[in-house]
Amino acid sequence: MPAVLEAGALSAGYAGRTVLSGLSLELMPGEICGVIGPNGVGKSTLLRALLDLGPEASGSVRICGGDSAEMSRMERARLVAYVPQDSAPSPGLTVMESVLLGRHPHRRGWSADSPRDLEVARRSMESTETWELRDRPFGEISGGERRRVLIASALAQEPRLLLLDEPGASLDFRHRVNLWLLLGRLASRGLAVLVTTHETNVASAFLHRVLLLREGGHVQGAPEEIFRADLLSEVFGVRLSVRRAGPGWQVVPSLPDRPS
Amino acid sequence: MRGLWWVLLLILAAGIALSLLLGPMEGAPGWVVLRLRLPRTALALMAGASLAVSGCVLQAVLRNGLATPYTLGISAGAGVTAGALLLSGAVVSRMVLVLSGTAGALATVAAVYALARAAAGGGTGSRIVLAGVTLNLIGASVLLLFEYLSPASRLVEIIRWMMGDLSAVDSQLPLYLLPFTVAGLAAAGARAGVLNQLESGPGLAASRGVSIVRERTLLLAAAALLAGGTVGAVGPIGFVGLIVPHMMRRLAGGDYRRLVYASALGGAALLLLADVAARLVISPAELPIGVVMSILGGPFFLYLLLRGGRRTG
Repeated sequence: MPAVLEAGALSAGYAGRTVLSGLSLELMPGEICGVIGPNGVGKSTLLRALLDLGPEASGSVRICGGDSAEMSRMERARLVAYVPQDSAPSPGLTVMESVLLGRHPHRRGWSADSPRDLEVARRSMESTETWELRDRPFGEISGGERRRVLIASALAQEPRLLLLDEPGASLDFRHRVNLWLLLGRLASRGLAVLVTTHETNVASAFLHRVLLLREGGHVQGAPEEIFRADLLSEVFGVRLSVRRAGPGWQVVPSLPDRPS
Repeated sequence: MRGLWWVLLLILAAGIALSLLLGPMEGAPGWVVLRLRLPRTALALMAGASLAVSGCVLQAVLRNGLATPYTLGISAGAGVTAGALLLSGAVVSRMVLVLSGTAGALATVAAVYALARAAAGGGTGSRIVLAGVTLNLIGASVLLLFEYLSPASRLVEIIRWMMGDLSAVDSQLPLYLLPFTVAGLAAAGARAGVLNQLESGPGLAASRGVSIVRERTLLLAAAALLAGGTVGAVGPIGFVGLIVPHMMRRLAGGDYRRLVYASALGGAALLLLADVAARLVISPAELPIGVVMSILGGPFFLYLLLRGGRRTG
């Protein structure tokens, strides 16, 4: 089976400042790869560079076997969907309309929603458990619901690869667990997922692979190779203890005792 | 939803009938209707639809609910070039005045866009709006200076134009405006789906296949054609580009594939009815339409904003 994503010797940055350099990455269908690392090390830049969304980038990116540089935005959008960290569709749209926005790359010009658009949107919403919200204004649903609606909208693109930037940020425990269960289900149906996260305690139970970005370099491997106290403490610059917990890992910073 | 379209069309039809039938002359002869009221009705329809859709497009592209042809300085730009022409003392036809106003409006959009792009950080929506507001203020002051320097004989002409004027003395004027309106509406209407994407933000829109820079430029050009042609033809008429899209957003929802068309119908109907009112209130004299729109539109917009308290941007 061909890889969904192959990045080779990828470097990216802004206005002369290199953030990422010499990164290689391969993602197979059904794989969830977590991108972790300290703030400002280039996690979001990586996702944006893969989609040519602003950073100056060099190196090769192949998506589903095709050279990304030779694809039009539309062609790329039919293969890869992206949920940015700070995305906010217009609050005046209903949830259903927000999800239907994801059908854009499959449309021509104006075009009303086809029966197929509606069908794909319905399936995307059912798999993200947002179908019941369909007639609510997007601006009036909760933060957890918004995340799921944005993912539904990305799924409506019928992508092979899903890029998520901090999807669990600002979610409570229940919503965060539900979100990762959802990503697990999506991956089990063959979707490849590349996701940046700081929520390693929940995420680590679902990741197949981990890309650890650090100042001036990166390490990648299976979760058990990355979730190690010595490695993470050094990269994050704070003493961390790591222990196995069920299917995942607990990463806990060592703190001074509370003054009595 | 279907009900809304019928209501809008009905109001529009009523507006057209009233505009053709009512006026200072009771039981006007056929030539008055044909030569005076018909061009005026056509002008109001096109100007209303153009200003409303221009505002609608600007709000989506710049992701700012306060973006309108007026706040972006388009009206002021048109006023400055037309005013300069009047001040120069050249004896020009109405059509040349109109052309110079249009050129000024288009140049202002280009200047606003260039200014915002040149600023560090690029042309984000709020930056473009701020650049436009600034140009608007500068333009308004330059215009005051022109008025101050103008000989009294020309002052009336320029002040009258700046108040917005639908009384198409030249029956060719609607024909002049037609290509601007058609081109702008066609471009905006065909790209309504893209407007939805642009309003979601550049990152998300680009990831869904939208070529941001190209679409933005194209749509800003469409908005400039609509507003520029209109301001050139009838002078600055404020508030249509602000009120109508906001009102229609409440009635038709936030999907631009409906909103653009609803705004076109709503804008045409609103300006038509306002013009009928302007003709009747102090008949046989008439009020300047720009002033009527602002006096009616301003308070109504405040009411929309304060009622409900929902986000309108």
